[in-house]
Amino acid sequence: MAKSIMIVDDSATMRKIIMKTVRAAELDIGETSEAGNGAEALEKLKASAVDIMLCDINMPEMTGPELVKKVRCLPSCAKTKIIMVSTETAQGIVDDVLKSGANGYITKPFTPEKFKEKLAPLLN
Amino acid sequence: MMVDEVCLNEALLAGATEVFETMIFMDIRQSTAQDQEASCESNSQDGSEQHLKGNTFLGSITFTGDMEGCLGICCSISCAKAIAQNMLGMAPTDELNEAEISDAIGEVANMVMGSFKSRVQETVGNLNVSIPTVVKGRSLDASVGEDAGRTVINVNIADQYDAEFSLLYRRENKRES
Repeated sequence: MAKSIMIVDDSATMRKIIMKTVRAAELDIGETSEAGNGAEALEKLKASAVDIMLCDINMPEMTGPELVKKVRCLPSCAKTKIIMVSTETAQGIVDDVLKSGANGYITKPFTPEKFKEKLAPLLN
Repeated sequence: MMVDEVCLNEALLAGATEVFETMIFMDIRQSTAQDQEASCESNSQDGSEQHLKGNTFLGSITFTGDMEGCLGICCSISCAKAIAQNMLGMAPTDELNEAEISDAIGEVANMVMGSFKSRVQETVGNLNVSIPTVVKGRSLDASVGEDAGRTVINVNIADQYDAEFSLLYRRENKRES
């Protein structure tokens, strides 16, 4: 069954690029949605949970890890898989976001193959 | 451990190359003296804004930590538009507004910074990166103070556009021996 996906990034360009890359990865993706910040993402998730959330780390107002913690408090999103997508490569930061409740991590720049490698196991 | 300009220069060029190869799909190479002469001649003949003396976009991102400073990409408006179109998989005839082009250049600065950071992490130490900013204008230049080191790489993109990557940095006495 096709999975629903939400992309959260303050850059509209990056949201489009991630969407384009996910589609190029030929994964079984169904409904897609976007949010430009953490507050918008929470509002949309409260209305309708998604199977997978791809989330930036460095965002103004609410950072990615702060958003992840809030999403993990939503009972409807208990099964949502969260993958962080960021340029951050420091191991300490990666460990912190995984501890905050994220299921995986993709570094920018990325390729469709990298998305396939990380997302395919979550889609099965 | 000492960080020299060559190391930063190489990491900056390698970072920019990785981003252009994997996300923008445009060839990028360090400019030669002939490229720069040709660019100046071409611009003086047709009055175009292909090089960096006309209106340009400057995307920059600051960093703090074991080294502090600013990484920037400066390119002409036509170059910035081509970069944005390629990133988004659009045709050269597709239109983009200024906000979309600006957003794309900010993301280029962000990704080059990320790639640069991963390459110098072991030598330089931890860097905390800001959110990118983009400005448009003439003769744009970033500054982080008179005592800052500076490395600049002039590049040629797709055999068509000139652009400049710059790194301004200050290490004070952190981790240097």
